[in-house]
Amino acid sequence: MPGFEIDAPGTSQLLMGNEAIARGALEAGIGFASAYPGTPSSEIMGSLAPVAKKMGFYAEWSVNEAVAIEAAAGASFAGVRAITSMKQNGRSVVADFVSTIVLTGLGKGGMVMVVCDDPQAHSSGNEDDTRTMAKWFDIPMLEPGNYQEAKDMTKYLFDLSEQLDSICLLRSVTRVSHSRGNVKLGELPRRKYKAYFEEAHDTRNPKQSKFVQNPPPPLHAAQHRRLVKAQAIFESSPFNWYRGPEKADLLIITAGSGWLHTQEVVKKLKLENRVGILKLGTLWPMPEKLVRQHLNKSSKILFVEEVDPFIERNVMELVASSPDIPRPTFYGKRSGHLNEYGELTPDIIIKAITGILGIPYQGRDADYAKKAEELAKNLVPKRSLALCPGCPHRATLWAVKTALKMDGRNGVTTGDAGCYSMGTGATGFFQVREGHCMGASCGIATGLGRLGQYDFNQPVVALCGDSSFFHANIPAFINGIWNKSNYTLLILDNNATSMTGFQPHPGTGMVAMEEATQVIKPEDLCRAVGARVEICDPFDLKQTTDALLGMMADNKGGKVLISRRECQLVKARKEKAKYKMHVDTEKCVGESCGCDRLCTRLFRCPGLTWDKKAGKSKIDTVLCAGCGVCADICPQGAIIKEEA
Amino acid sequence: MAVEAKGSRELFKEVIEAGLCTYCGACSGGCPYLVPYKGKIALLDNCTRDEGQCYGYCPRTFLDMSAISQQVFGVPYGEDELGTVKEVMIARSTGKRIKEKGQYGGTVTALMSLALAEGLIDGAILTRTGKDKAASAYLANSAAEVLQGAGSNYLACPVLETYNRTPKDSHRKLGIVGVPCQVIALSKMKQKPPENRPDIGDVKLVVGLFCTWALSPDGFYKFLKENVDLPKVTRFDIPPPPAKRFDAYIGTERKSFPLEQIRQHTMPTCAYCLDMTAEFADISVGSVEGLEGWNTVIVRTRTGAELMETAKKKKKLEIDKLPAQNLAHLKEASLLKKKRALTEIIKRSGSKNKLLYLGLSPRLVDKFLNGQGGK
Ligand SMILES: Cc1cc2nc3c(=O)[nH]c(=O)nc-3n(C[C@H](O)[C@H](O)[C@H](O)COP(=O)(O)OP(=O)(O)OC[C@H]3O[C@@H](n4cnc5c(N)ncnc54)[C@H](O)[C@@H]3O)c2cc1C
Ligand code: SF4
Repeated sequence: MPGFEIDAPGTSQLLMGNEAIARGALEAGIGFASAYPGTPSSEIMGSLAPVAKKMGFYAEWSVNEAVAIEAAAGASFAGVRAITSMKQNGRSVVADFVSTIVLTGLGKGGMVMVVCDDPQAHSSGNEDDTRTMAKWFDIPMLEPGNYQEAKDMTKYLFDLSEQLDSICLLRSVTRVSHSRGNVKLGELPRRKYKAYFEEAHDTRNPKQSKFVQNPPPPLHAAQHRRLVKAQAIFESSPFNWYRGPEKADLLIITAGSGWLHTQEVVKKLKLENRVGILKLGTLWPMPEKLVRQHLNKSSKILFVEEVDPFIERNVMELVASSPDIPRPTFYGKRSGHLNEYGELTPDIIIKAITGILGIPYQGRDADYAKKAEELAKNLVPKRSLALCPGCPHRATLWAVKTALKMDGRNGVTTGDAGCYSMGTGATGFFQVREGHCMGASCGIATGLGRLGQYDFNQPVVALCGDSSFFHANIPAFINGIWNKSNYTLLILDNNATSMTGFQPHPGTGMVAMEEATQVIKPEDLCRAVGARVEICDPFDLKQTTDALLGMMADNKGGKVLISRRECQLVKARKEKAKYKMHVDTEKCVGESCGCDRLCTRLFRCPGLTWDKKAGKSKIDTVLCAGCGVCADICPQGAIIKEEA
Repeated sequence: MAVEAKGSRELFKEVIEAGLCTYCGACSGGCPYLVPYKGKIALLDNCTRDEGQCYGYCPRTFLDMSAISQQVFGVPYGEDELGTVKEVMIARSTGKRIKEKGQYGGTVTALMSLALAEGLIDGAILTRTGKDKAASAYLANSAAEVLQGAGSNYLACPVLETYNRTPKDSHRKLGIVGVPCQVIALSKMKQKPPENRPDIGDVKLVVGLFCTWALSPDGFYKFLKENVDLPKVTRFDIPPPPAKRFDAYIGTERKSFPLEQIRQHTMPTCAYCLDMTAEFADISVGSVEGLEGWNTVIVRTRTGAELMETAKKKKKLEIDKLPAQNLAHLKEASLLKKKRALTEIIKRSGSKNKLLYLGLSPRLVDKFLNGQGGK
């Protein structure tokens, strides 16, 4: 059944924001797509890759975002339209490259980077606002307010990119990327590319290639001229519009998800005749003339936007440098009416508007939220953030805990990004003692591992997943070996990029377009640079613990333990549970001496429950994945596994 | 005086962090939180119980000598330097292989084999060394497996962890060979039978080894590794006084280290131990000064006496009298250990009325302190 790629121009389709972006790319006739998975951006490539073959374009999951954007640039340089997508963390990874490609400009193929931000950091380690970064990138940027715009803007940005000879940016946020709405489809062009890199060396006319950012200052000036051009175009862009009275009591300037909430709120408050909304779609450079025209609509201006005061600052800057504009009163982040962090909710916006206009408004009881939460609590089972039942990471982290404690030198672990980063909490026994970004586990461990001269003798274990190993840990790992840093790298290899939806990576033997490829084994790579590598099965807790203890006791650098077992979610799709588990209630001693409820208090697999009345543990047969690991941690041999 | 309800928190505070742990293993094996590793008990996670058997059975928590003596022998703890004694003698195995592999006379190995053969026990918890020469405890089920334990390894080894790990419901009759602190922990278990652990009633035979001190499985092991080719070592020995040496043999070649050099690697807790002859065992076995290839044997209980009798009858052991001079020396040495340990304890506690873990009547304290143990 065709989905977002259906060839039915003029019809409407219910699409997820990210599918709409992917559709826009199809309608723009892309020839190249690349990405590294990251919530909330993954579905863009997740949609494109499966249809790439039949639609005749190329798509890949790249090893990381920097490689993805560089690969896309390669396509652009040879005249092929290219899209690359990432989450906000990835945007920081690509920063260096973006700063240079804005200087050189593109080939004949337009190039669009999509960044999906995650205000409130639902699935991220930060909630960085890409818009602020676009400004220092000097990159034209649009942000959709709905699904139709998500598609239309993506398509449009390719034209703009070619017109300006500049990479262009589409910024989305979780609420737009991950929700659904109707999108009217356009034509699907069938472009036949003939790729050619036009800046090849010409003997008759030897000169430096266009694609060299040298010398930077004039190229920088050229990019500024492109932005001026973009600004002129944006002044009349259909993605910006005003709705409201000619003279308003309050002008709201907003964009994206802020606009989605604002229009709803104004309608709900029945303030359509008093409040005007200027919705911007072209965020950078800001269409100053357009904004100026609207500034006299009201003496009160509220900026509704998530995270950074981006529009707010830009408008303030504009007003400050335009003595002819009457000074309105600004409301927003600076005034304290809205937060500079987290997501906006209609409630927050209502509070801001009614406060500014002095309208009494009591939408609901003051303690409504609390009551609702209480009510909802009873409807959902109490469950905290947890690794899945049967997750190999739980077993690995248990072994890590055991090994670090047995070793007795207060060993520490450094973390990376992946499911195992839940090891910062109870589900991973609080074993992850540091967590920043992809690639940082080896990097930070490298630093710690070099502090011997300052009496540092805590063993260091760097934890990373298989996908995060390939992503950005390899250079850090090599650095550690090169500089003789003393730490152990523990790769939690579950043969999947699980946290973002099982995308393939270099170790899986598959590529995005579902073709088999060479398997790149982390152990081969590590051995090639001289590391001592051991491989263990995390479900063999003793083997894993002993291996780690052995590595920690070895003071020479270049130690890698690969704890290898397939992600339980992937496994469960293919095979049945290995064991049928039950608790022998005769043997279970519960909270008595000799156990103190080890399994449900500390091991905490969701497949185990505590029968308070009986004072015994129980297997939740619905949740239990039948991995059998808890049978090995039970000190009384009360958890029984039988071959299923 | 009853043992107060205390758990792992207090065990760590009063014993482990206080440097008093003997590494006997009594707290481990039956507990998922306490694990012996490289000479230390590691706390793997937070046990929330206020009361724990770990605390109760530890030989370095309150030890009521009289109550224990009552439990094992039915008599209060007395003033004999060697504890409760039925008979003292010398013995050696008649078996060729045992004599070859055994530390001195191979008496312990011969006795454990015999106990197995006679059905007194179904299995023996012993200590052996691997290729790396680290000590590890194991359960021996046959004469051949018992033989693997022959020979002494002077590293402290958590033998009782292995005991605590034996399946609770197997009800196999067990024999255990251990150093004095291990025998004390076992006696504490006999006094108050453990819960959720193997049935202490199944322990039918306890053979104790004489012990002046044990060596650290961490520090001393490292020392050995640096100084001898460990995999090639065939035998370790601390010959009886006045040798003052630690020997490592590679075949017939001997590498000796003066005891002075070794002493820094002894378990610090041994300085606070009063028991040289494993006073609460069924049978205690040690070396004999000046008589190579023989063991000093102290028979203490009826079980011990019966087993010795059988060994004699079945010609498993050659038995003789302990020369009077040797007995005197043994007593002297034993008393000296008591005196030294008490002195150390009092030095640490600051008072004769506070003896750290030890529950001993003031009369006996004075008796041991004033005893003629010195040489
Ligand atoms: C730490 C230690 C210190 C000792 N100090 C003295 C001393 O000061 N004076 C003295 O006369 N004798 C001492 N001995 C005892 C002596 O070394 C012999 O074990 C004893 O004399 C028995 O000799 P055997 O020939 O019968 O031994 P074998 O028949 O060879 O049997 C030896 C037995 O010792 C056990 N064993 C070996 N290593 C250990 C260990 N590390 N921990 C617990 N059990 C072990 C084995 O399980 C085996 O059953 C000590 C033993 C140990 C383990
Ligand atoms: S002396 Fe024995 S029981 Fe006490 S803490 Fe040490 S190993 Fe545990």
